Amino acid sequence: MKDCCSHKERKKNQFIGNKINIALAGNPNVGKSVIFNQLTGLSQTIGNWPGKTVEKMEGHLNFLGHNINIVDLPGIYSLSAYSLEEIVSREYIASDEVDLIINVIDATNLERNLFFTFQLLELKIPIVIAVNQMDILRKRNKDINFEMFEQIFKVPVIPVVAVHGVGVYQLLEEAIELIYEHKFNPHKKEHRKKRRTHHHHFKIKHMYPKLELNTSSRELFQFPDLSPLLSFGKEVEEKIQLLEDNIEQNIGDTEKYHYPSRFIALKLLENDREIEKLISKDIHNSEIIKTSKDYRKNLEEYHGEEISTIISSEIYQNINKIIDSILIIDTRKETKKQSITDIIDHLTTHSILGYVILALVLIGIYYFTFIIGDFLGGLVDQLYTYLSTDIDTSTVAGKILWEGAVGGFFGAVGGVLVYVIPFFLLIEILQDSGYLPRAAFLLDKFMHVLGVHGKTIITMILGFGCNVPACAGCRIMETEREKKISIALTSLIPCAATMVVVMGLVGEYLGIGFVGLLFLINFIVIIFVGRILNKTMPGECTELIMEMHEYRKPNTRVIIKQTWVRTREFVFRSLPIIILIGILLEVMYIFSVLESVNIILTPITVFCLGLPAVTGIFLIYGILRKELTFALLEVLAVSIGVGSVSLLLSPIQMFVFSLVTMLYIPCFATIIIIAKQTNWKYALQISLLEITIAIIIGSIVNWGYFLIVNF
Amino acid sequence: MNEIKFNDSDQISKIGKTLIKCLTLCQKNEDVIVLSVNSGMKAKNHLANLGIVPGSIIKKKKEAPLRGPLEIEVKGSKIVIGRGIASKILVNCNKECNI
Repeated sequence: MKDCCSHKERKKNQFIGNKINIALAGNPNVGKSVIFNQLTGLSQTIGNWPGKTVEKMEGHLNFLGHNINIVDLPGIYSLSAYSLEEIVSREYIASDEVDLIINVIDATNLERNLFFTFQLLELKIPIVIAVNQMDILRKRNKDINFEMFEQIFKVPVIPVVAVHGVGVYQLLEEAIELIYEHKFNPHKKEHRKKRRTHHHHFKIKHMYPKLELNTSSRELFQFPDLSPLLSFGKEVEEKIQLLEDNIEQNIGDTEKYHYPSRFIALKLLENDREIEKLISKDIHNSEIIKTSKDYRKNLEEYHGEEISTIISSEIYQNINKIIDSILIIDTRKETKKQSITDIIDHLTTHSILGYVILALVLIGIYYFTFIIGDFLGGLVDQLYTYLSTDIDTSTVAGKILWEGAVGGFFGAVGGVLVYVIPFFLLIEILQDSGYLPRAAFLLDKFMHVLGVHGKTIITMILGFGCNVPACAGCRIMETEREKKISIALTSLIPCAATMVVVMGLVGEYLGIGFVGLLFLINFIVIIFVGRILNKTMPGECTELIMEMHEYRKPNTRVIIKQTWVRTREFVFRSLPIIILIGILLEVMYIFSVLESVNIILTPITVFCLGLPAVTGIFLIYGILRKELTFALLEVLAVSIGVGSVSLLLSPIQMFVFSLVTMLYIPCFATIIIIAKQTNWKYALQISLLEITIAIIIGSIVNWGYFLIVNF
Repeated sequence: MNEIKFNDSDQISKIGKTLIKCLTLCQKNEDVIVLSVNSGMKAKNHLANLGIVPGSIIKKKKEAPLRGPLEIEVKGSKIVIGRGIASKILVNCNKECNI
């Protein structure tokens, strides 16, 4: 006995130090990203809308001497081949890279989450189930019988409250234990099941007290083999078995396809095109495909339904039975009739009030950003003036360094950052609360006019923060056509950087009314572009199918962290550029190099838009990051000694300059994302379209104003 | 109202007075049983993954104004469906509704 144990220990020690790959999989919005961040300390974007993890995220951690690589997969509802995320996730899970899957499920929505678990189980890969949001479930006077849960699924099931980090440690412990046993003693599963019983529920029990039920009702669950609950109905199961046998006879080991034979049989029966393609690569397999078609036809005739419907219904029937036995409902306590989130939900989707609230939310975000930013900006300006009094700027070097570098720095902080931080904070709160799908619900009908459905409004609102992640988020669109239109519309949304220009220039010197006018023009351009794309792109607008998640109280820690991450990115990408270009500009100004670049752009800047020639170079820099146009304007004002931008530009010039900055091109990073999501041709097309629109509208405003004033 | 559970489609006939109609036409907050989903394959699969399959009990919760999308409650979660697809979902109401 002792020998055996030390032998085991030895083996376990050898196992330590190995690289382990764990993938997080589950439905959208169940808390995968929260668990991912808890585990890795990385800052994956968290939001309360489906589809925000658009690509798989990777992170590393060391745990008890193990080198663990964790991958956060996009949230999906099934492993069919209907969306790109599903295919990508499926192939990734099936690949040899993954040692174990942590299937995160939402305790408050077991039925739909277990549907995905059922499909994962078919892939025959070690799984640990993390049941998240246990705190919310218990608040609703419900509980889960975890012993039963494990008995049915024969995998470890861990209660988790991800936002507070409860259960996350146990999750990893179980995962490593399972991988270890899978690799070294695959036959001893029974042994380990008995060993681990109650200990891991301790913490969660302690923090979120379990329901007290009379045990009599739970004794009912003690017996029986529940494994039939994991298989399909008699007819379907029979066909799968036959097909599996057929596959095993013809192909033998299905290792080379990475999928287990039963999974292949099931998917062939389901008419899954990807798997069919994979199998039919080998000509000898045509017999299998033919047989699967016969079986499918057979089943469809027998049930009078399409195969996907038959299989989904059977899974859901099993899930119903399972939930009956694992979900404990305390009927003694009455559940509250209407919670506060229900009331908020009711108001925000109300057919009249909903729109009023939507408008107030969007205006409110801008208004508060403006007020807070203005206040903070004033403080920064005072500090700069205070510091400047003692500095000697009479020498050339001193002038370059102080006014170029330090002036540029203060220009960036005072003019840019003070707006960006409160703005990101508000966008994060909006995103985390779960409001965005409500906006999609309300505006779905309107978005159809532009050729897309309501989901686009989510990416558009996020675009107010930054176009780059918002355009990447357009991946949630179902068809290529919708993705393209959504990207075009989202890239036209004035982002935080653009807002800095608008607020700093027009908001500061002309008043908030003109800011409104700018937004109105931008809004009209968006509708115009949407209409044109809707007319010219082939295909039809598809319908909205989207899950509407419950509201949740924004988590302060998450919000602050996300805001910090975004701000940090903003600062580290743009501050060095602003300071560098500030110095460069100062040098170029002294040696008058700027002139030649600006002269080339004169026909557009001076003739069409009526701007000073010097703005040409700023607009070029603005392609890099849009706030540069304004930040550099401020730097220029400081360096040529006029002090204020209002002395550089006339009111109409400010208006046109802001308008052009808003519209003229998506920034460089956005163009790259667009190219990645679609192709370079489309990215350039959009850029060209937006440049043209900006020049045309800028000219109209400029010349229109000129004519009105002079005649 | 009595709770009715359906596991097999043949039990539906036991309800008595029933009306078959599309989801867009039935009343709000009434439990109805999905009979069939007649949309395209892609939407049908998507709906099946979300739990809208023949036999499941669903409830219309809200309608966006101006013939906008519908909010459906199914298996404890809320799902928004465009009106075009909703009109292709046939359900079995056990109450007569005002059309």
